Amino acid sequence: MMPFPALVSVVDDDESVRESLPDLLKEFGFASQAFSSASEFLASGYVAHTRCLILDVAMPGMSGVELQRELVRRKWAIPIVFITAGDDESVRPRLISEGAVECLFKPFSETALLDALNAALGIP
Amino acid sequence: MELDSGRRLTEIDLLKAYITDLNCIVALPAAWSGGTALQILGTSLDVLRDMLHLDFIYARLKDPTGLEPLEMARVAPSGDPAAQAGRIAAVLRECLGEFPRDWPARSLRRIGDDDISIVTLQLGLQGEVGVLAAGSRRSDFPGQTERLLLSVAANQVMVGLQDAGRLTEHKRIATELDRRVAQRTAELSASNDELRKEIAERRRVEERLRVEERRAKRSEALLADAQRVSSTGSFLWHVTSGEVTFSDQTYRIYGFARDSAITLDMVANRIHPDDGPRMHEMVARARGQAADLDLEYRLQMSDGSVKHLRLVARASLDHGGELVYAGAIQDVTERERAEEALRAARAEVARVARVTALGALTASIAHEVNQPLSGIITNAGTCLRMLAADPPNLDGARETARRTIRDGNRAADVITRLRAMFTRRHVETEALNVNEVAREVVALSADELQRRRVVLTLALDPDLPSINGDRVQLQQVIMNLLLNASDAMSTVEDGPRTLTMGTGHDDDGIRLFVQDCGVGLDPRDADKLFDAFYTTKNGGMGIGLSVSRAIVERHRGRLWATPNDGPGATFAFSIPRESEAAAAEGLGAPLVPDSTGIPRPV
Repeated sequence: MMPFPALVSVVDDDESVRESLPDLLKEFGFASQAFSSASEFLASGYVAHTRCLILDVAMPGMSGVELQRELVRRKWAIPIVFITAGDDESVRPRLISEGAVECLFKPFSETALLDALNAALGIP
Repeated sequence: MELDSGRRLTEIDLLKAYITDLNCIVALPAAWSGGTALQILGTSLDVLRDMLHLDFIYARLKDPTGLEPLEMARVAPSGDPAAQAGRIAAVLRECLGEFPRDWPARSLRRIGDDDISIVTLQLGLQGEVGVLAAGSRRSDFPGQTERLLLSVAANQVMVGLQDAGRLTEHKRIATELDRRVAQRTAELSASNDELRKEIAERRRVEERLRVEERRAKRSEALLADAQRVSSTGSFLWHVTSGEVTFSDQTYRIYGFARDSAITLDMVANRIHPDDGPRMHEMVARARGQAADLDLEYRLQMSDGSVKHLRLVARASLDHGGELVYAGAIQDVTERERAEEALRAARAEVARVARVTALGALTASIAHEVNQPLSGIITNAGTCLRMLAADPPNLDGARETARRTIRDGNRAADVITRLRAMFTRRHVETEALNVNEVAREVVALSADELQRRRVVLTLALDPDLPSINGDRVQLQQVIMNLLLNASDAMSTVEDGPRTLTMGTGHDDDGIRLFVQDCGVGLDPRDADKLFDAFYTTKNGGMGIGLSVSRAIVERHRGRLWATPNDGPGATFAFSIPRESEAAAAEGLGAPLVPDSTGIPRPV
């Protein structure tokens, strides 16, 4: 574990994800902040500190993909792991081609999540 | 020849007078030429009386026709003007005799106070023409020249009369001839008129016939055109004699030579083998009783192509009381192709819509369920990690365990909402005769079955008892079995697609079966047949049989399938006879999927 835990931010409109996922991330040894929408995340002071973003694909208001593009536009090069409750497998390669590290389908296992985070943070 | 006592006439003067008188008498015929007997006689008597200074002259002519004789007399201007022919004749008869033919040629008689010299001349050899009598008080009458003049005059009169008679006869004959000719002419003219009228009438009739023939030909031509343009032919079928008459277009549709005599066998040989049994059945029915026909069938042409035809016919009785069908046959191949394409397109659209809808439903269900599942897994994982920590984070573990339970409940709520989608609040139960329900379904699906070229035979138990049930739900079950069975036969191309639906009963209840000759059952699949989402069909969702079984079970019945001895399978259900209350109780419950995914009453 790193002496200063890396900040993994979670943006999801589903409350149970915002409650449960940060606790698990902290158990993994990361720092974590949860936001209910893209605009809330952008308005917070955590964007610059976020080492990895766990981002829901479909949300009211700005969607996960739109946030991804907005970050690229603002030159914030934050590695993104998408999560989705949908079952459309075709979104995964599309998102990865746009720069996402991974796309996980809910419900996903701890191992799958940890592998994606390690890939995002460049941890072997 | 005037006698003048005071003057002596010379011989020459006498001769001159005589010649003049003779000339005058000889010239008489010129005076009466063309005249009648009456005119001849009148002229002659006048001339003779004046020429010979007669006291009287009388003529009597026998009428050749045997009627009253013609009498005429002249008296001297000094004589009694009242002396008429009848009176003179009476006097002459009195003094000369009853019969003029016997009167003497010359006689002297005392008539009244005078002695009268009378000369009688018989006309004709025997007096057969008549008699001429001239009288004078002169003592020298008749002198020699006077006798000569009288006899010449009599001759002339006779010839004149004969001429006149001949003329009259000629005229009569001519008139008769004219009359006859006129009559004949009139007759001829009349018959001619008749003939003309007849000819005119015949001409009119012929003209009318020609016009009608032209009109008939024109309308025939129009009809032929119309039949060709609309691809519609007509036919006449005399049932008893088996005589079949085709229009030109019908010949074309069937591909028969124009002048060939049509028999039912020829027609039957053209029918597509798959449609044969159906047509055979139709013909048998049409023979049996007068019924209007409306059906679609196919022809298998000699070049292997297939024609789709629609036949509409009306039954009627001819004047002999024999059954006759008159109808039209339309070649609907093009329409059928277009409709087939349209049906295929619609089916594709419906399939896509179904898949899309199912996809959307699946995505929606997945999303609804995956969210809480994701929470459960994450929380459970976190909880385990907290408990495994040293020291264990009991508060955190308790919190994550609480969230796990909450997300579990949330997933259960999703299931409850899905259940609600299958719930039916109002169920109509009534006493039902399943035969009636089956017939309703057959009526509803007749078009579909015909389109799929399925020959359906009904074997309904006439003594089928009633059961209590939901009419619409049982219709769904029967419809589902019928359509499944015809689907199972969709690959049958080498024989008729026959389907039998029947009913029966025993002490326990009623049953209905649907037997097809399709692909049949694989025994390995028999267990899975009634599972939700299990299907052997390309376009099916696999819902039909599971819902059907659920419905039958709600009626406390049973639905099962068995392979036939021959090709195909038989699906059947049974429904027990039970109390109305029990049935209503069973049917009133909502229908929801159980743990196996099959909707069942709860």
